[in-house]
Amino acid sequence: MTEQHTHTLGMHPPAPQVDEVSDYEILEIAVRELAIEHGLFTAEDHRRFTEWAERIGPTGGSRLIAKAWTDPAFKKRVMDNATEACKEIGIDWSEPTGFGTPSDYMNLRVLENTPKLHHVIVCTLCSCYPRPLLGMSPEWYRSTNYRRRLVRWPREVLAELGLIVPPDVEVRVEDSNQKCRFMVMPMRPEGTDNWSEEQLAEIVTRDCMIGVAMPKAGRTEDIRRPVHKARRPPQPATVQ
Amino acid sequence: MASTSQSKASTSRPELREQYQIIGSFQPAIHIPQNWNYETSHPLFRAYMHPPHDVGGQRDVAGKYEEKEEEGWELNTYVTCETLGWRGIWNSEERRRRADNDLGYTLYLGLPYYGRWLWAATRMLIDKKRFSLPELLAKIDEVKARYERQ
Amino acid sequence: MKDSDSNASETHARFKVGDRVRVKNMPLMFYTRTQNYARDIEGTIVELTYKDLVPEDEAFNFDGVLDQYYIIRFRQKDIWEEYPFENDTLQTESPDRWLEPVSH
Repeated sequence: MTEQHTHTLGMHPPAPQVDEVSDYEILEIAVRELAIEHGLFTAEDHRRFTEWAERIGPTGGSRLIAKAWTDPAFKKRVMDNATEACKEIGIDWSEPTGFGTPSDYMNLRVLENTPKLHHVIVCTLCSCYPRPLLGMSPEWYRSTNYRRRLVRWPREVLAELGLIVPPDVEVRVEDSNQKCRFMVMPMRPEGTDNWSEEQLAEIVTRDCMIGVAMPKAGRTEDIRRPVHKARRPPQPATVQ
Repeated sequence: MASTSQSKASTSRPELREQYQIIGSFQPAIHIPQNWNYETSHPLFRAYMHPPHDVGGQRDVAGKYEEKEEEGWELNTYVTCETLGWRGIWNSEERRRRADNDLGYTLYLGLPYYGRWLWAATRMLIDKKRFSLPELLAKIDEVKARYERQ
Repeated sequence: MKDSDSNASETHARFKVGDRVRVKNMPLMFYTRTQNYARDIEGTIVELTYKDLVPEDEAFNFDGVLDQYYIIRFRQKDIWEEYPFENDTLQTESPDRWLEPVSH
């Protein structure tokens, strides 16, 4: 018997009226069912990839940075071969297919900040992002606004996002337009001497690893921005 | 009339935000309709040929940076596109070419982010004869009918 | 990323770290990942990354020749006329055939 998962078959109780359902929801179901009917992939394939997508998040990146801050030999391994070094903190860029995801590839580069150099990442052409380490990209990162402006007015955009970089510090924008994926290694802030890796990881938030924020002792959350709520969010998977 | 009571704010904050958006769109514009020009200048031709996704350096206003909760159909679309790549039906460069460029400026700027992914996957599957357009149209009708039956 | 199978031919890497290069302004049609803003700009090679199909081939499932890819660093003041900060830079990635050598 094949397992049916309500969220992958798009049957969400309670059922909506036709005028409440988006065209995209209908088309998505149609395409997925046709693809499965024609043997292009199985429902199991879809479920496995969904599980990977739901598993990823910024904690992988936070742990990588925290470990690099406390272990100079590990940091060197990160700078020499970041993709390989990720395995030491439990992130394998070859998952879930065995040869990487189709969109994230296996070419991570970590950009190290110094007192005189601040990195920030964008993908002007689409929204390339180191998903295995940071999870799904924030909506603002994908926006045409960020992608148009960060490469040309980086300091203004950073200021709008809450970060002002002093003029004597070089701002280096990394436009990830090919198959390398990038993450920022921020500088370890003052007031964190003798902290454990866990304590350090708590202050390495997602925005710090994109380069639009800097970590600080006591700062365990990114700036709260408005959240556009979903009308019909993904349902938890249930086995029938 | 004299009143010492505190008057209610005439617009709430969400309404005010919306007003800013609407008023900000009242811009003068000189509209030059295009309808199968007989000839186009070099700069106009190049601009027409320009891939829409190449936006770096274009001007824009101060950003409205917000987070967005993912819809169920968006997560499913992402997974379908990646699973099609995993199973060798297409690769991500083809996805980007289709979803970020082939569809043209109007759909590029008008459709939701994952709406473009979905459009591109659908078009690709028909181009590659994985299923036919009539099959797709019938399936869309069938899916709609499920909602109507409730 | 395409496997390097025995039939895929590769060009050799023309550049090494430190070389000055200029991004070519090849004709624009259908698809490219070489940005408008980078064209005709000079930069410095900072890293050799991998060999792969160029996006103009891969996007069309064309079995082209594999190119060496590079990360290139530009001065922001060289890209944008009005850019006011002297030391700011921008990096982006490019396949070999999109670059040409610069003498100085």
